[in-house]
Amino acid sequence: MRRSALPSPVLKVTFTQMQYLAQETLRGLQRGGWMNWAAISTVTVLLFLFGISLQTSWQVNGLLQNMGSQLEISAYLRPNLSGETLQKQLGQLQTIASVELLPRADAWKQLVADLGATDLQSATDALGQNPLVDQLKIRARSGEQVPKLAQMLSGFPEIEHVSYLNEVMQNLVQLNQGLSWMGWGVIGLLTLTALAVINTTIRLIVVTRHQEIEVMQLVGATTTWIYLPFLLQGLTFGLLGGGLAIGFMAIAHHFMARLLVTQPAFLQSLAQNLQLTMFQGALLPLLLVGFGSFVGLSGSFLAVRRFLVR
Amino acid sequence: MMNPLVLPQSISVQAERSRPEGAEATTSEASAAAATSYAIHLRDVTKSYRDTGFSLRNLNFVVKQGDFLFITGPSGAGKSTLMKLVYGAERPDRGEVRVGGQNVANLSGHRLSLLRRRLGVVFQDYKLIARWTVAENVAFVLRSQGVPKDEILRRLNPTLKLVGLQNKADCFPTQLSGGEQQRASIARAIVGSPRLLLADEPTGNLDQDNSLQVLSILKKLNSLGITVVVTTHDLHLIRMGQAPVARLQNGQLKMISTPGSEAS
Repeated sequence: MRRSALPSPVLKVTFTQMQYLAQETLRGLQRGGWMNWAAISTVTVLLFLFGISLQTSWQVNGLLQNMGSQLEISAYLRPNLSGETLQKQLGQLQTIASVELLPRADAWKQLVADLGATDLQSATDALGQNPLVDQLKIRARSGEQVPKLAQMLSGFPEIEHVSYLNEVMQNLVQLNQGLSWMGWGVIGLLTLTALAVINTTIRLIVVTRHQEIEVMQLVGATTTWIYLPFLLQGLTFGLLGGGLAIGFMAIAHHFMARLLVTQPAFLQSLAQNLQLTMFQGALLPLLLVGFGSFVGLSGSFLAVRRFLVR
Repeated sequence: MMNPLVLPQSISVQAERSRPEGAEATTSEASAAAATSYAIHLRDVTKSYRDTGFSLRNLNFVVKQGDFLFITGPSGAGKSTLMKLVYGAERPDRGEVRVGGQNVANLSGHRLSLLRRRLGVVFQDYKLIARWTVAENVAFVLRSQGVPKDEILRRLNPTLKLVGLQNKADCFPTQLSGGEQQRASIARAIVGSPRLLLADEPTGNLDQDNSLQVLSILKKLNSLGITVVVTTHDLHLIRMGQAPVARLQNGQLKMISTPGSEAS
């Protein structure tokens, strides 16, 4: 049996309505003129900063986590004590993932080699004896346990000194928190600015179209039908701003990657640690577009709310 | 309360009367069935503006389906306000404004929009969008109601033909004479097939020839079954119209002429 090529009436009406809304949204944008760009550029700057802040926050958190997992505590034993017994003892503790012993002889050998000397015996003779002590490299199961574990190790009579990267890490955490607060403050202010600009833009468009709106009201167009295109215009600002912000972030990444190629190896390795996970990489653009849409819709809703709610 | 005055062509207008206590309910019940057959039914409608001192006082006014009525009166008498009350652009301070049985004063938002789709309004200043062609202005009514494109096209040409603008479909309002612009405005008002057409001073800006053309179209629409209410202070138009005339003055509406008698 041959199927009818005509779409169902419901589909036809839906298509007409979608087409009408798209046309009216476009018409409104045309009326907005340069105000559109004011709105879109404000949203773009907002979302770009939002994206950068979020990304930096994720990167620093990732870095801290990496550092946390790599963190090891160095325990230096008292002179002339062997670390073998203590290594076995510590290895049985739940919070400790591994204990590695660096005997003083090996450490001295390594140090002499690092210093560029070739004759170990003459170096030892020059100082009278090997000046180093046995060292235990202890790795915690999680970064959070490190400070507690270090404190516990300091209590052992065999151990003279304990050191780990706690201070550096805490500074990094504080710096990250400070930057985050500052970033969110700026984003908050920019969000208000974007809302104000979108609100003003949509209001101006409403004013320039007041005659059409009056006629629409008189011929029975519903309030939602009249003002939905204005909300869609706000949404368009958000989506375009989101798209541009994603584009700018991609360009910034590209230039950073090119810049890093010529940088020393340790900077490249640091940059590798700053890579986002795949999940974060996918989430970031979605968040930008989502936040942009929210700001766009909110700004336009504020502009037409008094018409919509009456 | 006295029954509304029954006049030829079923136009009833009643000035303010005192209503006995308890009479309202009885009258309401008795007239409930008839109310739905009224195109317009105003009951004890009062509307006043403090700043200008203008007021309509206890208007009782009935227009039946298929009637043609002129409402006349001096400038500032409240003709436009009366129209606005009917199409819901103004709300009465007191009383009921029923259109097709629905109390307009109680309607807002979506329900008011749906009611307005059942009536057409023609204005003295046409209210055409200058950037759009005649066809676009007329089609706009249907577009803004979400009517599919092919249905719009199907209705557009007969409507323009009815008002004699089939050859001006692609003209912009500025390219039309006043009479043509008003006819375009009428086309826009009737393209949605309304049962009631309100024309507020439709010939106020037109010369005599164009006024008669507009009147002729309104009469033709009336002959098709559309109820037509025209506000005007153009006595020549009223004479040519051969239809009942009500006069609005000092906030009161009075029947002053029916076909066959001379409008004063």
